[in-house]
Amino acid sequence: MNARAVTSDVLLGIVPIALLVALWQALASFGYAPATLLPPPGLVFTRLVQQLATSSYQQEIAATLFRLFAGFSIAVILGVAIGLAAATSPAVNAVVRPIVRVLAPLPKVALYPALLLLLGFGHESKITLVVADALFPILLSTYYGASMVEQKLIWSAMAAGTPRRQILFKVVLPAAVPSILTGCRIGLVISCIVVFLAEMITSTDGLGHVLVTAARTFQAVDMFVPLITISLLGLILNGLLQAVRSYLLRGFPEV
Amino acid sequence: MMTARTLLSRSAPLLACLGLLAIWQVAALILNTDSFPTALQAIRAIPSILGDKESLINILASLRRMAVGFGVAILVSIPLGLMMGRSRNVAAFFNPLLMITYPVPKAALMPIIMLWLGVGDVAKMLVIFLGVSLPVIYHSFQGAKAVEEKMLWSGAAMGLSAAQRMVRIVLPAALPEILAGCRTGLVLALITMITSEMIARQSGAGNILFNALDMGQYDTVFAMIIIVGAMGIGLDAAFERLRGRLVRWSEPRFDMPLSFA
Repeated sequence: MNARAVTSDVLLGIVPIALLVALWQALASFGYAPATLLPPPGLVFTRLVQQLATSSYQQEIAATLFRLFAGFSIAVILGVAIGLAAATSPAVNAVVRPIVRVLAPLPKVALYPALLLLLGFGHESKITLVVADALFPILLSTYYGASMVEQKLIWSAMAAGTPRRQILFKVVLPAAVPSILTGCRIGLVISCIVVFLAEMITSTDGLGHVLVTAARTFQAVDMFVPLITISLLGLILNGLLQAVRSYLLRGFPEV
Repeated sequence: MMTARTLLSRSAPLLACLGLLAIWQVAALILNTDSFPTALQAIRAIPSILGDKESLINILASLRRMAVGFGVAILVSIPLGLMMGRSRNVAAFFNPLLMITYPVPKAALMPIIMLWLGVGDVAKMLVIFLGVSLPVIYHSFQGAKAVEEKMLWSGAAMGLSAAQRMVRIVLPAALPEILAGCRTGLVLALITMITSEMIARQSGAGNILFNALDMGQYDTVFAMIIIVGAMGIGLDAAFERLRGRLVRWSEPRFDMPLSFA
């Protein structure tokens, strides 16, 4: 793909977003929607910038990010460990597979009331919910990635004298990294969404709580601000993960 | 011996369910607090929920909204995804928009949409529609992109118009991928339904959960969790069967969808 094609793609991609903002502006400025229901985009974005500068809003973001990272990290560690174990050991596989089969399609958010009862209304219940939701994509993609490692690679490593227990870390894990990172990317977006929803359902701080507070007092502007913030956070984190990916996979062919 | 083996592998998910319930039972007996009923207590509370006319109507209304939201989302998303997969310009047009809306929690739009459309069915269906459409678009897009060019050329050489090629070549070729997207979408529809009801606290299955929680009826809370969980597992299993029939020719790459986002 040459540079001109990329620019034209980018230009084309901006069109629907610009149209949407224009429609939003038009609805607001021609009076079809009162500002209490749909505040004009300018107002929302200036409010966003204002809020980002205040320390109380930064604290809400920090609370959300803390839960997000705690949950996501635990999910990555557990998911990669269980996925690798299931891919390499038939005994573990026989146990893990049916359990995952049952738990993966379960709507995890329904467990939230149970988590509230067991772990209380603090960080723990929200982090656990994030783990429960982000775990499965990471686990499954690790499992598929590790079980599709070419047998030849393992044979060559064995022929070259690699001890059996090191094959897992020297051959299987690196070969599964592209697949694991794909799972992490899905898990990261899920973590963003889940942490926000959990904060909306019950919380005393965090971005989700900001939205609920605004909704209770019918402050439409303040309802848009946390939504845009979480969307931006998701995009930034996704970009960071992409950077990690291209660093980790610098030797790999195009994936 | 073979039959015993297949029987075991068939019943493995069932055994897993029983195992998880057993772990729950033991954990509850060990913890022994009021707020964590045992699995048996929770199961015993299920008939009283399903027997209660009002909650049954609530749950059925939830399912109806979910079905409508899911159906409309599929009807819109599949054609859009297929067109994105076949035309570079269409893909370039929609991709950035989809990318920025991807990390937005759809159920979190509930308060805003309720502000606009009121608390009725339309708002809830719209939220479910939004939640389902992204993965279905994405998978249809991937599926249509991977269609072999040669088949399309042969079709064109035999005089199929662009629209005919879309329906008779691209759609069937992308079907396995589309159905993988629909499977994710189906579970997501359930998740979005429950979440939006938990946030809106108006009616439906999610509302029953939190009402019971507020009133301290803990066995009802856990019974409701079992019901919702069973719905998720049941819907997923039913869809798997349907998919197996529709695309018997295609070995699924993954036997479980990766993205319940």
